[in-house]
Amino acid sequence: MEYIGHGGKPIVERVLKPDEAKDAIKGLTEIPVRRQIAHETISIAYGFFTPIEGFMKYEDVDSVCKNMALADGVVWSIPIVFDMNVDELKEKDIKEGDSVLFKYMDKPLAIFEVEEIFEYDTKFMAEKVYGTSEEKHPGVARTYKYGEKFLGGKITLVNEPVFSEPYATYWKTPIQHREAMKEKGWEAMVAHQTRNVPHTGHEWLMKGAWFAANEDLMVDKLRTGVLVNCIIGEKRKGDYIDEAILLSHDMLRKAGYFRDDVHMTTFTLWDMRYAGPKEAIFHAILRTNLGCTHHMFGRDHAGVGDYYGTYDAHYLLKSVKEKLAIKPVFVLEWWYCPICSEVTCSALCNHTKERQKFSGTLIRSILMDGVKPTRLIFRPEVFDTVMETAEKYGFGSPFVTDHYLEKRQPIFTLKDL
Amino acid sequence: MDDIGINIWINEERYEKLKEAGLADMAKEVLAGMKNIQVKCTEEQKDEILKKYPSAKFDASTTRTIELLPREVKDKIFEIAIKRKSTGPDVIEEFLKS
Repeated sequence: MEYIGHGGKPIVERVLKPDEAKDAIKGLTEIPVRRQIAHETISIAYGFFTPIEGFMKYEDVDSVCKNMALADGVVWSIPIVFDMNVDELKEKDIKEGDSVLFKYMDKPLAIFEVEEIFEYDTKFMAEKVYGTSEEKHPGVARTYKYGEKFLGGKITLVNEPVFSEPYATYWKTPIQHREAMKEKGWEAMVAHQTRNVPHTGHEWLMKGAWFAANEDLMVDKLRTGVLVNCIIGEKRKGDYIDEAILLSHDMLRKAGYFRDDVHMTTFTLWDMRYAGPKEAIFHAILRTNLGCTHHMFGRDHAGVGDYYGTYDAHYLLKSVKEKLAIKPVFVLEWWYCPICSEVTCSALCNHTKERQKFSGTLIRSILMDGVKPTRLIFRPEVFDTVMETAEKYGFGSPFVTDHYLEKRQPIFTLKDL
Repeated sequence: MDDIGINIWINEERYEKLKEAGLADMAKEVLAGMKNIQVKCTEEQKDEILKKYPSAKFDASTTRTIELLPREVKDKIFEIAIKRKSTGPDVIEEFLKS
């Protein structure tokens, strides 16, 4: 069955079978790639970034920067690029028209067809995508680290990743997301973007979004689901460890805070760029490809520091709403109100003087102080899961440490071909 | 006084210390039954702390507090707050000098 993704294009998996792959990679120049490129290669190959079939060529990069669209006019907000230094290019003698083999963890990963080699002004790219050229913005810093040349062209996966647990349990390709949705009988699916362990504020955001996404669907049988699609990528010290994020979100379902038939946890390999409104557009595209009909956007979506206004992402999404195949669900802040005795929404509760704001950062600080949060703000099962994963995967800490960065189990491995 | 704060969450052990010092009233319920004391600091002190502890973050959008400081740092600030019977920037001044 053909599934349609962003831009009205079908989801295509660019993946070779092992026997075809073995022959296809014979004699190709090998290029070892870093984690970001390996993750994006995998995401491209499975169709997470539909309609993109490879790393962008000049025309697309330029159009994304200037018009927030691919060269053919389809909305796109963040350049997906593969970079190399001139020295590396010379050393490997790579020219336009070549096919090369991406290697990751010393194993074959994908064939990359080098259709174009070009330069692009990274300062201009940063200003257009992030709205700033300040290097302290993490997305800008990443942009400035790119090599002198960009290589554009299609990629084809030759070696499918073998995910370790707990990742294997939560890994789904876009087509598998669509199949799971069909199997569950969902007609609507609302995405919750996260790289955090859920506190009750998140839980109620998701519950509120379920009602919004269910719209006029009959409720004799439930036809709407919440997709918690965790972003698994670059980690910084102090972040929650990836395993805690996945397992604690699923615990909300396992412990009954969500029914089995309305909740699903999965993940996408992606390094957050913290591009605020532009990242929100990217998330909308990504989740369209997973089959989501709706996407929740809260305050300060995917922002960092004070680069973006609280609701900038909402305004930008609204401006291109007609060009997206996913409905944004705009949500206000959720807080704990001691008068209402509940977690409630700022759109509803008028106890603005008494309201008690909470943020993910605040909850992390409570845990770091070694204090167990009350069940009103952190479900006990979620807390226990976080602490169990700290022991099992985090070397005693639920937060990323130097030790975790150095010794963590790989998210996936690749086989020899 | 600046509105930037450092939250020190109160568990039983810290609450006992506050009580012993006659400062139990300093602990305020801020979040669904969670109590803390908030030690205030100036903009300059905030910058100095963030520089000294790179893992710490300033939550500019929601709480205007410095978060993710290591537990031992919080313990030290807590001790100084008790000694000085204060939650003002003088506590952070002493901490940064120590």
